[in-house]
Amino acid sequence: MPSFKLFYFDGRARAEVARQILHLADIPFEDVRVSYHDWPPMKPTTPFGQLPVLEVDGEQLPTSYAIFRYLAKEFGFNGQTAFETAWVDALADQHADYFNEIKPLFFVLWGFAQGDRTTMVKEIGAPARDKYFPLLEKIAKDNGLNGHFVGESLTWVDLLIAEHVGTVHQHLPGFLSAYPNVIKTVNKINSTPRLKEWIEKREPTAF
Amino acid sequence: MPTYKLHYFDMHGAAEVSRQLFILSGTPFIDSRISKEQWPLFKETTPFGHLPVLEVDGRPLPQSQAIARYLAKEFGFYGKTPFESAWVDALADQIKDFLTEMRPYFDVFVAGSDKEKARVEIAMPAISKHFPFFEKAAKDNGSNGHFVGDSLTFVDVYIADRIVTIDGMLPGFADAYPSVLAIRDKVINDPRLKEWIATRGTRRVAGEVLVDLRK
Repeated sequence: MPSFKLFYFDGRARAEVARQILHLADIPFEDVRVSYHDWPPMKPTTPFGQLPVLEVDGEQLPTSYAIFRYLAKEFGFNGQTAFETAWVDALADQHADYFNEIKPLFFVLWGFAQGDRTTMVKEIGAPARDKYFPLLEKIAKDNGLNGHFVGESLTWVDLLIAEHVGTVHQHLPGFLSAYPNVIKTVNKINSTPRLKEWIEKREPTAF
Repeated sequence: MPTYKLHYFDMHGAAEVSRQLFILSGTPFIDSRISKEQWPLFKETTPFGHLPVLEVDGRPLPQSQAIARYLAKEFGFYGKTPFESAWVDALADQIKDFLTEMRPYFDVFVAGSDKEKARVEIAMPAISKHFPFFEKAAKDNGSNGHFVGDSLTFVDVYIADRIVTIDGMLPGFADAYPSVLAIRDKVINDPRLKEWIATRGTRRVAGEVLVDLRK
Protein backbone atom coordinates (compact mmCIF):
# COMPACT_ATOMS: atom_id res chain seq x y z
CA MET A 1 0.00 0.00 0.00
CA PRO A 2 1.50 3.37 -0.97
CA SER A 3 1.58 6.23 1.50
CA PHE A 4 -0.96 8.98 0.84
CA LYS A 5 -0.57 12.61 1.80
CA LEU A 6 -3.32 15.04 0.83
CA PHE A 7 -2.61 18.77 0.84
CA TYR A 8 -5.44 21.30 0.87
CA PHE A 9 -6.59 24.37 2.75
CA ASP A 10 -8.55 23.94 5.96
CA GLY A 11 -11.87 23.33 4.28
CA ARG A 12 -13.99 20.79 2.43
CA ALA A 13 -14.47 22.41 -1.00
CA ARG A 14 -12.14 20.75 -3.51
CA ALA A 15 -10.63 18.05 -1.29
CA GLU A 16 -13.39 16.57 0.83
CA VAL A 17 -14.32 13.85 -1.67
CA ALA A 18 -10.72 12.57 -1.58
CA ARG A 19 -10.77 12.46 2.23
CA GLN A 20 -14.08 10.61 2.16
CA ILE A 21 -12.90 7.99 -0.37
CA LEU A 22 -9.78 7.28 1.71
CA HIS A 23 -11.84 7.07 4.89
CA LEU A 24 -14.52 4.87 3.29
CA ALA A 25 -11.80 2.52 2.06
CA ASP A 26 -10.18 2.57 5.51
CA ILE A 27 -6.89 3.76 4.06
CA PRO A 28 -4.64 5.75 6.38
CA PHE A 29 -3.58 9.09 4.98
CA GLU A 30 -2.01 12.32 6.14
CA ASP A 31 -4.69 15.01 5.95
CA VAL A 32 -2.55 18.15 5.67
CA ARG A 33 -4.36 21.47 6.11
CA VAL A 34 -2.29 24.24 4.58
CA SER A 35 -2.68 27.61 6.29
CA TYR A 36 -2.91 30.82 4.27
CA HIS A 37 0.43 31.76 5.84
CA ASP A 38 2.15 28.59 4.61
CA TRP A 39 0.64 28.65 1.13
CA PRO A 40 2.78 31.29 -0.68
CA PRO A 41 6.09 29.43 -0.17
CA MET A 42 4.41 26.12 -0.95
CA LYS A 43 2.70 27.28 -4.16
CA PRO A 44 5.75 27.14 -6.48
CA THR A 45 6.49 23.61 -5.32
CA THR A 46 3.16 22.33 -6.63
CA PRO A 47 2.70 21.13 -10.23
CA PHE A 48 0.09 23.75 -11.22
CA GLY A 49 0.40 26.32 -8.42
CA GLN A 50 -2.87 25.09 -6.91
CA LEU A 51 -4.31 22.84 -4.23
CA PRO A 52 -5.34 20.10 -3.69
CA VAL A 53 -2.28 17.98 -4.35
CA LEU A 54 -2.12 14.28 -3.51
CA GLU A 55 1.27 12.75 -2.82
CA VAL A 56 1.43 9.04 -3.54
CA ASP A 57 4.71 7.68 -2.13
CA GLY A 58 6.00 11.24 -2.42
CA GLU A 59 4.98 11.71 -6.08
CA GLN A 60 2.66 14.64 -6.62
CA LEU A 61 -0.71 14.51 -8.40
CA PRO A 62 -2.62 17.78 -8.89
CA THR A 63 -6.24 18.75 -9.69
CA SER A 64 -9.19 17.67 -7.60
CA TYR A 65 -10.98 15.53 -10.18
CA ALA A 66 -7.83 13.63 -11.22
CA ILE A 67 -7.22 12.90 -7.52
CA PHE A 68 -10.84 11.80 -6.92
CA ARG A 69 -10.86 9.60 -10.01
CA TYR A 70 -7.50 8.00 -9.18
CA LEU A 71 -8.56 7.16 -5.62
CA ALA A 72 -12.02 6.06 -6.74
CA LYS A 73 -10.47 3.66 -9.24
CA GLU A 74 -7.98 2.29 -6.71
CA PHE A 75 -10.61 1.71 -4.05
CA GLY A 76 -13.75 0.79 -6.00
CA PHE A 77 -15.86 3.93 -6.19
CA ASN A 78 -15.71 4.36 -9.95
CA GLY A 79 -18.70 2.40 -11.33
CA GLN A 80 -19.00 -1.24 -12.34
CA THR A 81 -18.59 -1.08 -16.14
CA ALA A 82 -16.58 1.12 -18.50
CA PHE A 83 -19.77 2.84 -19.69
CA GLU A 84 -20.96 3.44 -16.12
CA THR A 85 -17.54 4.91 -15.28
CA ALA A 86 -17.87 7.22 -18.27
CA TRP A 87 -21.27 8.37 -16.98
CA VAL A 88 -19.74 9.06 -13.55
CA ASP A 89 -17.20 11.27 -15.38
CA ALA A 90 -19.90 12.95 -17.50
CA LEU A 91 -22.06 13.80 -14.49
CA ALA A 92 -19.04 15.08 -12.56
CA ASP A 93 -18.14 17.35 -15.48
CA GLN A 94 -21.72 18.61 -15.67
CA HIS A 95 -21.52 19.33 -11.95
CA ALA A 96 -18.27 21.25 -12.50
CA ASP A 97 -19.94 23.34 -15.22
CA TYR A 98 -22.80 24.14 -12.82
CA PHE A 99 -20.43 24.95 -9.97
CA ASN A 100 -18.45 27.34 -12.18
CA GLU A 101 -21.68 29.24 -12.82
CA ILE A 102 -22.74 29.39 -9.16
CA LYS A 103 -19.24 29.87 -7.74
CA PRO A 104 -19.48 33.69 -7.39
CA LEU A 105 -22.42 33.21 -5.01
CA PHE A 106 -20.49 30.71 -2.88
CA PHE A 107 -17.43 32.96 -2.74
CA VAL A 108 -19.68 35.59 -1.17
CA LEU A 109 -21.32 33.07 1.18
CA TRP A 110 -17.88 31.79 2.21
CA GLY A 111 -16.60 35.31 2.81
CA PHE A 112 -14.01 35.28 0.00
CA ALA A 113 -15.68 38.07 -1.93
CA GLN A 114 -18.06 40.95 -1.40
CA GLY A 115 -21.55 40.95 -2.81
CA ASP A 116 -25.20 41.32 -2.01
CA ARG A 117 -26.37 37.88 -0.98
CA THR A 118 -30.04 38.32 -1.88
CA THR A 119 -29.30 39.73 -5.32
CA MET A 120 -26.77 37.03 -6.04
CA VAL A 121 -29.07 34.23 -4.97
CA LYS A 122 -31.70 35.59 -7.35
CA GLU A 123 -29.45 36.46 -10.31
CA ILE A 124 -26.74 33.80 -10.10
CA GLY A 125 -27.81 31.04 -7.73
CA ALA A 126 -31.34 30.32 -8.88
CA PRO A 127 -30.63 30.29 -12.64
CA ALA A 128 -27.60 28.02 -12.21
CA ARG A 129 -29.57 25.73 -9.94
CA ASP A 130 -32.60 25.55 -12.22
CA LYS A 131 -30.46 24.69 -15.21
CA TYR A 132 -28.70 21.78 -13.48
CA PHE A 133 -30.89 20.34 -10.75
CA PRO A 134 -33.75 19.25 -13.04
CA LEU A 135 -31.16 17.04 -14.80
CA LEU A 136 -30.10 15.57 -11.44
CA GLU A 137 -33.71 15.08 -10.42
CA LYS A 138 -34.39 13.11 -13.62
CA ILE A 139 -31.14 11.14 -13.32
CA ALA A 140 -31.98 10.13 -9.73
CA LYS A 141 -35.46 9.03 -10.83
CA ASP A 142 -34.29 7.20 -13.97
CA ASN A 143 -31.71 5.39 -11.86
CA GLY A 144 -34.53 3.96 -9.75
CA LEU A 145 -34.20 6.23 -6.71
CA ASN A 146 -31.74 3.62 -5.43
CA GLY A 147 -29.59 6.08 -3.51
CA HIS A 148 -27.08 6.59 -6.32
CA PHE A 149 -26.81 8.90 -9.27
CA VAL A 150 -25.11 6.32 -11.49
CA GLY A 151 -25.41 2.56 -11.31
CA GLU A 152 -26.02 0.61 -8.14
CA SER A 153 -22.91 1.25 -6.09
CA LEU A 154 -21.42 4.26 -4.36
CA THR A 155 -19.29 6.34 -6.75
CA TRP A 156 -17.23 9.48 -6.34
CA VAL A 157 -19.87 11.55 -8.13
CA ASP A 158 -22.37 10.53 -5.41
CA LEU A 159 -19.90 11.91 -2.85
CA LEU A 160 -19.29 15.05 -4.94
CA ILE A 161 -22.98 15.91 -5.23
CA ALA A 162 -23.82 14.98 -1.63
CA GLU A 163 -20.98 17.15 -0.33
CA HIS A 164 -22.19 20.10 -2.40
CA VAL A 165 -25.81 19.67 -1.27
CA GLY A 166 -24.56 19.66 2.33
CA THR A 167 -22.78 22.95 1.72
CA VAL A 168 -25.91 24.41 0.09
CA HIS A 169 -28.01 23.42 3.12
CA GLN A 170 -25.44 24.97 5.43
CA HIS A 171 -25.87 28.40 3.82
CA LEU A 172 -29.16 28.35 1.90
CA PRO A 173 -31.77 26.23 3.66
CA GLY A 174 -34.72 25.47 1.40
CA PHE A 175 -32.77 26.33 -1.77
CA LEU A 176 -33.27 22.82 -3.16
CA SER A 177 -36.82 22.18 -1.99
CA ALA A 178 -38.02 21.73 -5.58
CA TYR A 179 -35.73 18.70 -6.00
CA PRO A 180 -36.96 15.97 -3.62
CA ASN A 181 -35.40 13.06 -5.53
CA VAL A 182 -32.00 14.67 -5.30
CA ILE A 183 -32.48 15.23 -1.55
CA LYS A 184 -33.65 11.62 -1.07
CA THR A 185 -30.61 10.34 -2.95
CA VAL A 186 -28.21 12.56 -1.00
CA ASN A 187 -29.74 11.45 2.30
CA LYS A 188 -29.22 7.82 1.33
CA ILE A 189 -25.60 8.54 0.32
CA ASN A 190 -24.95 10.30 3.62
CA SER A 191 -26.32 7.35 5.56
CA THR A 192 -23.50 5.09 4.31
CA PRO A 193 -22.10 4.01 7.71
CA ARG A 194 -18.45 5.11 7.48
CA LEU A 195 -19.47 8.29 5.68
CA LYS A 196 -22.10 9.17 8.28
CA GLU A 197 -19.45 8.71 10.95
CA TRP A 198 -16.93 10.89 9.07
CA ILE A 199 -19.45 13.69 8.59
CA GLU A 200 -20.46 13.60 12.26
CA LYS A 201 -16.88 13.58 13.57
CA ARG A 202 -15.17 16.07 11.23
CA GLU A 203 -14.31 19.53 12.48
CA PRO A 204 -16.72 22.10 11.02
CA THR A 205 -15.02 24.44 8.55
CA ALA A 206 -16.07 27.69 6.96
CA PHE A 207 -16.08 26.18 3.44
CA MET B 1 -17.13 -4.22 -31.78
CA PRO B 2 -19.83 -1.74 -30.71
CA THR B 3 -21.29 0.76 -33.16
CA TYR B 4 -20.00 4.22 -32.40
CA LYS B 5 -21.73 7.41 -33.47
CA LEU B 6 -20.31 10.79 -32.48
CA HIS B 7 -22.59 13.82 -32.75
CA TYR B 8 -21.18 17.34 -32.86
CA PHE B 9 -21.35 20.55 -34.84
CA ASP B 10 -19.37 20.89 -38.03
CA MET B 11 -16.19 22.09 -36.36
CA HIS B 12 -13.26 20.81 -34.29
CA GLY B 13 -14.27 22.25 -30.93
CA ALA B 14 -14.79 19.75 -28.17
CA ALA B 15 -15.22 16.69 -30.41
CA GLU B 16 -12.07 16.63 -32.53
CA VAL B 17 -10.02 14.84 -29.86
CA SER B 18 -12.49 11.97 -29.89
CA ARG B 19 -12.70 11.85 -33.69
CA GLN B 20 -8.91 11.61 -33.80
CA LEU B 21 -8.90 8.80 -31.21
CA PHE B 22 -11.14 6.78 -33.55
CA ILE B 23 -8.79 7.52 -36.47
CA LEU B 24 -5.61 6.76 -34.49
CA SER B 25 -6.99 3.45 -33.30
CA GLY B 26 -8.34 2.48 -36.71
CA THR B 27 -11.86 2.18 -35.31
CA PRO B 28 -14.74 2.91 -37.66
CA PHE B 29 -17.27 5.43 -36.40
CA ILE B 30 -20.23 7.40 -37.70
CA ASP B 31 -19.18 11.04 -37.82
CA SER B 32 -22.44 12.93 -37.30
CA ARG B 33 -22.50 16.68 -37.89
CA ILE B 34 -25.48 18.63 -36.60
CA SER B 35 -26.32 21.85 -38.42
CA LYS B 36 -27.47 25.09 -36.78
CA GLU B 37 -30.96 24.46 -38.18
CA GLN B 38 -31.14 20.92 -36.82
CA TRP B 39 -29.78 21.84 -33.39
CA PRO B 40 -32.89 23.10 -31.55
CA LEU B 41 -34.76 19.85 -32.14
CA PHE B 42 -31.71 17.63 -31.69
CA LYS B 43 -30.88 19.38 -28.40
CA GLU B 44 -34.05 17.94 -26.85
CA THR B 45 -32.79 14.42 -27.44
CA THR B 46 -29.44 14.93 -25.71
CA PRO B 47 -28.87 13.97 -22.05
CA PHE B 48 -27.60 17.40 -20.96
CA GLY B 49 -28.68 19.72 -23.75
CA HIS B 50 -25.26 20.04 -25.34
CA LEU B 51 -22.85 18.38 -27.74
CA PRO B 52 -20.81 16.31 -28.24
CA VAL B 53 -22.73 13.14 -27.51
CA LEU B 54 -21.27 9.70 -28.19
CA GLU B 55 -23.65 6.85 -28.90
CA VAL B 56 -22.29 3.42 -28.06
CA ASP B 57 -24.67 0.84 -29.53
CA GLY B 58 -27.31 3.55 -29.34
CA ARG B 59 -26.67 4.44 -25.67
CA PRO B 60 -25.81 8.12 -25.26
CA LEU B 61 -22.83 9.50 -23.35
CA PRO B 62 -22.44 13.29 -23.01
CA GLN B 63 -19.53 15.58 -22.04
CA SER B 64 -16.47 15.81 -24.25
CA GLN B 65 -13.88 14.86 -21.61
CA ALA B 66 -15.87 11.83 -20.45
CA ILE B 67 -16.19 10.72 -24.08
CA ALA B 68 -12.49 11.23 -24.81
CA ARG B 69 -11.46 9.37 -21.65
CA TYR B 70 -13.84 6.48 -22.37
CA LEU B 71 -12.46 6.07 -25.88
CA ALA B 72 -8.87 6.59 -24.73
CA LYS B 73 -9.32 3.76 -22.25
CA GLU B 74 -10.92 1.48 -24.85
CA PHE B 75 -8.21 2.15 -27.45
CA GLY B 76 -5.11 2.40 -25.24
CA PHE B 77 -4.39 6.12 -25.16
CA TYR B 78 -4.66 6.56 -21.40
CA GLY B 79 -1.18 5.85 -20.03
CA LYS B 80 0.38 2.62 -18.81
CA THR B 81 -0.27 2.83 -15.04
CA PRO B 82 -3.06 4.27 -12.85
CA PHE B 83 -0.77 7.11 -11.77
CA GLU B 84 0.08 7.91 -15.40
CA SER B 85 -3.65 7.92 -16.23
CA ALA B 86 -4.23 10.28 -13.31
CA TRP B 87 -1.63 12.69 -14.75
CA VAL B 88 -3.31 12.48 -18.15
CA ASP B 89 -6.53 13.51 -16.37
CA ALA B 90 -4.83 16.30 -14.43
CA LEU B 91 -3.33 17.85 -17.57
CA ALA B 92 -6.62 17.49 -19.47
CA ASP B 93 -8.39 19.33 -16.63
CA GLN B 94 -5.84 22.14 -16.72
CA ILE B 95 -6.16 22.46 -20.48
CA LYS B 96 -9.92 22.69 -20.06
CA ASP B 97 -9.45 25.44 -17.43
CA PHE B 98 -7.16 27.28 -19.87
CA LEU B 99 -9.79 27.05 -22.62
CA THR B 100 -12.50 28.28 -20.24
CA GLU B 101 -10.36 31.36 -19.54
CA MET B 102 -9.79 31.84 -23.28
CA ARG B 103 -13.52 31.60 -24.06
CA PRO B 104 -14.23 35.35 -24.02
CA TYR B 105 -11.33 35.83 -26.45
CA PHE B 106 -12.70 33.14 -28.79
CA ASP B 107 -16.13 34.79 -28.69
CA VAL B 108 -14.63 38.17 -29.63
CA PHE B 109 -12.47 36.62 -32.33
CA VAL B 110 -15.47 35.02 -34.00
CA ALA B 111 -18.07 37.73 -33.59
CA GLY B 112 -16.71 40.71 -31.69
CA SER B 113 -15.08 44.01 -32.43
CA ASP B 114 -11.97 44.74 -30.37
CA LYS B 115 -9.81 41.69 -31.03
CA GLU B 116 -6.60 43.41 -29.96
CA LYS B 117 -8.04 44.42 -26.58
CA ALA B 118 -9.27 40.86 -26.03
CA ARG B 119 -5.89 39.47 -27.07
CA VAL B 120 -4.07 41.63 -24.53
CA GLU B 121 -6.56 41.41 -21.68
CA ILE B 122 -7.82 37.85 -22.00
CA ALA B 123 -5.71 35.65 -24.28
CA MET B 124 -2.18 36.66 -23.27
CA PRO B 125 -2.80 36.37 -19.49
CA ALA B 126 -4.44 32.95 -19.92
CA ILE B 127 -1.59 31.69 -22.09
CA SER B 128 1.16 32.99 -19.82
CA LYS B 129 -0.62 31.60 -16.77
CA HIS B 130 -1.08 28.05 -18.06
CA PHE B 131 1.56 27.31 -20.69
CA PRO B 132 4.57 27.48 -18.36
CA PHE B 133 2.96 24.65 -16.39
CA PHE B 134 2.34 22.66 -19.58
CA GLU B 135 5.94 23.27 -20.66
CA LYS B 136 7.25 22.13 -17.28
CA ALA B 137 5.14 18.96 -17.43
CA ALA B 138 6.41 18.20 -20.94
CA LYS B 139 10.01 18.89 -19.89
CA ASP B 140 9.73 16.85 -16.70
CA ASN B 141 8.54 13.98 -18.90
CA GLY B 142 11.77 14.24 -20.89
CA SER B 143 10.61 16.49 -23.75
CA ASN B 144 9.86 13.29 -25.65
CA GLY B 145 6.82 14.51 -27.52
CA HIS B 146 4.41 13.23 -24.86
CA PHE B 147 2.96 14.78 -21.74
CA VAL B 148 2.93 11.50 -19.84
CA GLY B 149 5.02 8.38 -20.24
CA ASP B 150 6.42 7.37 -23.58
CA SER B 151 3.31 6.69 -25.59
CA LEU B 152 0.50 8.73 -27.12
CA THR B 153 -2.30 9.67 -24.72
CA PHE B 154 -5.49 11.61 -25.32
CA VAL B 155 -4.08 14.69 -23.61
CA ASP B 156 -1.36 14.85 -26.32
CA VAL B 157 -4.10 14.78 -28.97
CA TYR B 158 -6.08 17.38 -27.02
CA ILE B 159 -3.28 19.95 -26.71
CA ALA B 160 -2.21 19.40 -30.32
CA ASP B 161 -5.65 20.15 -31.72
CA ARG B 162 -6.16 23.19 -29.51
CA ILE B 163 -2.74 24.61 -30.44
CA VAL B 164 -3.52 24.18 -34.13
CA THR B 165 -6.84 25.98 -33.68
CA ILE B 166 -5.49 28.83 -31.53
CA ASP B 167 -2.42 29.23 -33.77
CA GLY B 168 -4.88 30.07 -36.50
CA MET B 169 -6.01 33.06 -34.42
CA LEU B 170 -2.70 33.96 -32.76
CA PRO B 171 0.13 32.72 -34.98
CA GLY B 172 3.18 31.65 -33.01
CA PHE B 173 1.44 32.09 -29.65
CA ALA B 174 3.16 29.02 -28.20
CA ASP B 175 6.65 29.60 -29.60
CA ALA B 176 8.06 30.10 -26.10
CA TYR B 177 7.01 26.55 -25.18
CA PRO B 178 9.09 24.23 -27.39
CA SER B 179 8.46 21.01 -25.45
CA VAL B 180 4.72 21.54 -25.79
CA LEU B 181 5.11 22.30 -29.50
CA ALA B 182 7.03 19.04 -29.82
CA ILE B 183 3.90 17.26 -28.58
CA ARG B 184 1.80 19.06 -31.19
CA ASP B 185 4.32 18.14 -33.90
CA LYS B 186 4.34 14.48 -32.97
CA VAL B 187 0.54 14.30 -33.13
CA ILE B 188 0.00 16.18 -36.38
CA ASN B 189 2.77 14.19 -38.04
CA ASP B 190 1.41 10.85 -36.90
CA PRO B 191 1.01 8.84 -40.11
CA ARG B 192 -2.32 7.47 -38.92
CA LEU B 193 -3.78 11.01 -38.89
CA LYS B 194 -2.36 12.04 -42.27
CA GLU B 195 -5.39 11.31 -44.43
CA TRP B 196 -7.82 12.78 -41.86
CA ILE B 197 -5.84 16.01 -41.50
CA ALA B 198 -5.47 16.29 -45.28
CA THR B 199 -9.25 16.23 -45.77
CA ARG B 200 -9.85 18.84 -43.08
CA GLY B 201 -11.10 21.42 -45.53
CA THR B 202 -13.77 19.27 -47.08
CA ARG B 203 -16.35 18.85 -44.39
CA ARG B 204 -20.03 18.72 -45.06
CA VAL B 205 -22.37 20.88 -43.03
CA ALA B 206 -24.72 18.21 -41.78
CA GLY B 207 -25.33 14.50 -41.96
CA GLU B 208 -23.77 11.24 -40.95
CA VAL B 209 -20.74 9.71 -42.61
CA LEU B 210 -19.23 6.37 -41.74
CA VAL B 211 -15.50 7.00 -41.33
CA ASP B 212 -13.55 3.81 -41.82
CA LEU B 213 -9.90 4.40 -42.56
CA ARG B 214 -8.83 0.80 -42.04
CA LYS B 215 -6.58 -0.31 -44.83
